[in-house]
Amino acid sequence: MKIATTDTCVFLEENGQVFTLLEKPTLPDYSNVTKRPYFSFYYSEGETIWERLSGSMAKFEDLCHDDPYLGCYALILSCLYPLLLSDNRAKNLAAYGAGTDCMAYRVIQDFMTFLHAGSALTALALSPFSLTAISPCSCAALLYRLDTCPAPAAVCDAINRIKPGGLLFLYTIKETVPPELAALCTHAQKDSFGPCTLYTLTADEAVMDFARENGSESFVLARASEITRRADDLRYLIQGILTGAALPDDAYFIAVTILQQTEELLLSLYDYLENDELPVHANALKEAVLNYDVEVRRSCGLTVYREKLTQISEMFFAAVEQEFLA
Amino acid sequence: MKKYKMCMIPAYPLENVQLLKDRVILPYVCYRLFGESFSIVTQSTGDYPYLSYLEGADFIPLPKDRSHMESAVSYVSAHSQDIDLLFLFGARGEYMELARTYKSLRPDGVIYLKLDTNIDWANAYPLHDKNFSVFLEDCDIISCEIRRLQSFLYKKWLRPVEYIPNGVYYPLYPEAGDVQLANKENMILTVGRLGTAQKNSMMLLYAYALAFPSLKEPWELVMAGSVTPEFQADYDRFCREFPPLAPHIHLTGNISDKQTLYQYYKKAKIFALTSRAEGSPNVFPEAAIFGCTVITTGVDAAPDMTDSGRVGRISPDPEDVKGFSRELLSLCQDSDYLARNFHEIRTYMQSYFDYERLAGRLQVLVELQALKRRQS
Repeated sequence: MKIATTDTCVFLEENGQVFTLLEKPTLPDYSNVTKRPYFSFYYSEGETIWERLSGSMAKFEDLCHDDPYLGCYALILSCLYPLLLSDNRAKNLAAYGAGTDCMAYRVIQDFMTFLHAGSALTALALSPFSLTAISPCSCAALLYRLDTCPAPAAVCDAINRIKPGGLLFLYTIKETVPPELAALCTHAQKDSFGPCTLYTLTADEAVMDFARENGSESFVLARASEITRRADDLRYLIQGILTGAALPDDAYFIAVTILQQTEELLLSLYDYLENDELPVHANALKEAVLNYDVEVRRSCGLTVYREKLTQISEMFFAAVEQEFLA
Repeated sequence: MKKYKMCMIPAYPLENVQLLKDRVILPYVCYRLFGESFSIVTQSTGDYPYLSYLEGADFIPLPKDRSHMESAVSYVSAHSQDIDLLFLFGARGEYMELARTYKSLRPDGVIYLKLDTNIDWANAYPLHDKNFSVFLEDCDIISCEIRRLQSFLYKKWLRPVEYIPNGVYYPLYPEAGDVQLANKENMILTVGRLGTAQKNSMMLLYAYALAFPSLKEPWELVMAGSVTPEFQADYDRFCREFPPLAPHIHLTGNISDKQTLYQYYKKAKIFALTSRAEGSPNVFPEAAIFGCTVITTGVDAAPDMTDSGRVGRISPDPEDVKGFSRELLSLCQDSDYLARNFHEIRTYMQSYFDYERLAGRLQVLVELQALKRRQS
């Protein structure tokens, strides 16, 4: 894939196919915008925004010619262009999924700085935590490489960092998006050329509602409530087991099933837990229930399992309370 | 609960002695508890007299025209319908294809992987290898023999890892039931391949030598097991250097007859383990059910073996001869503790290391996984 520029047009070429990325806007005084103080900071003489844009596209070619995402970068910059020029305010952008040393991001940053010295493109580390580290509704746009982290919760977290009306650029070189994101992508403008596809989503009310409902915060809250509900069920069952109350025949099996599910739920929240031992505590409680069950079945008269079950269950419920209810 | 058709396949051809170790015994006890059939599938390495202990087990020798694991994969391909529960031993790369093959043919089947791990292994699993990660996902139940490694791996792999220690199958040790404190002698016993770097056998000799002058009563040191030529030479030199000790130290040589070994366990008050690095040694539970108080270096399983020092002693540094000697001496001189611990350690073993109990726990875990597989 190649990026080609002329005096009035930027386009992508591949196998004889051409995709027009951008045509030079016909603003009456467009060639004079470098006179404005914001833009004269770096290049006080001569270079116009269009020339700089063409130069940036050429830099993509130079620095990223082996990068399969080359077309995506060109698509992104062409779609960013109107946003960056929409007003004279500095723009805060973030990018996730290509690491912090992505050359293409540096090219975009350079172009943004040319337009406004105060604009910034922050390339985030490859951890979904880096998304939640940004203040909500703080970015004018966010560039998101979908192939790195296709998890819907992470995409929604990204949307939650964008200002209302801002843009999310989801780019991919895969043919399809994950099914959980298909509905979201129907709200997007889709541009694709060759293997590269860019979904441009405007953070409108519908998109932001979707993001709020499916972001990691609501995911964590929903899981937390499932865990506390299971803990309540367990408390009831284990108390019954310890006091010899009338319980269904498969009470132990039910308790172990609930604990197994609880372990899985806790593991799914692992990165968010304050007490990282919690899933292990759940496993220890499962072990204690099973040991007690075996003792009841074998009736060897050993009291140690009852003491262990009492002690470990108290510890587990206290830890759950501390983690989710304190 | 359902009865399962069970199969155990080792990563390498099985030897006779391994038939009575954790890799076979735990699956065998599971078979006794909730199995419909049990087959041990391996290339043969010779005779298997210990099979006589495993009533009901089928021994299926694999052809030797290919590698052990290639033959095992073909076997599983042809007999997947005869395997509801597949036992694997050790998270080894050799198993990756086998597990994938089984799962592709029997998505409803259950794989139980017993890790047989230690801290070095636990840190070295190639998690970056996608095939290895798939292998771990293919394993429905994974267990670790050491409590602190279980917690470590659980959090490292972010998946349930169960704690199933290396235990004992009591029916194999009828003599352990009638062991008497009164028949115990002032004997310190160690069992293992003496002279290997791992077993650190010289340390026990020197620790004993340091303790010897302070012992109020005579104590014998019995070192059972095969002896490397290097250790034999070191031992001979040691006896020349410390002639008064020589009559009290006994090398038995390799003991293949279990009954003979059990006689030593019956007599010994103390079982000493000086290993530099070890996961969960099989000799420990054997010694413990005979009421031997364990003194060990800080091997991975030391806290489990001694209930964190309650029913045994830990001298953490495997190079600290003086420290080990101090602990050994204090044990030898504390006859009250040894007498009390004769009962304590056996109750502790019965409570936490009885394979029949552990298999009872596994039965429910297997049932849960089978249910999950059927539902999905």
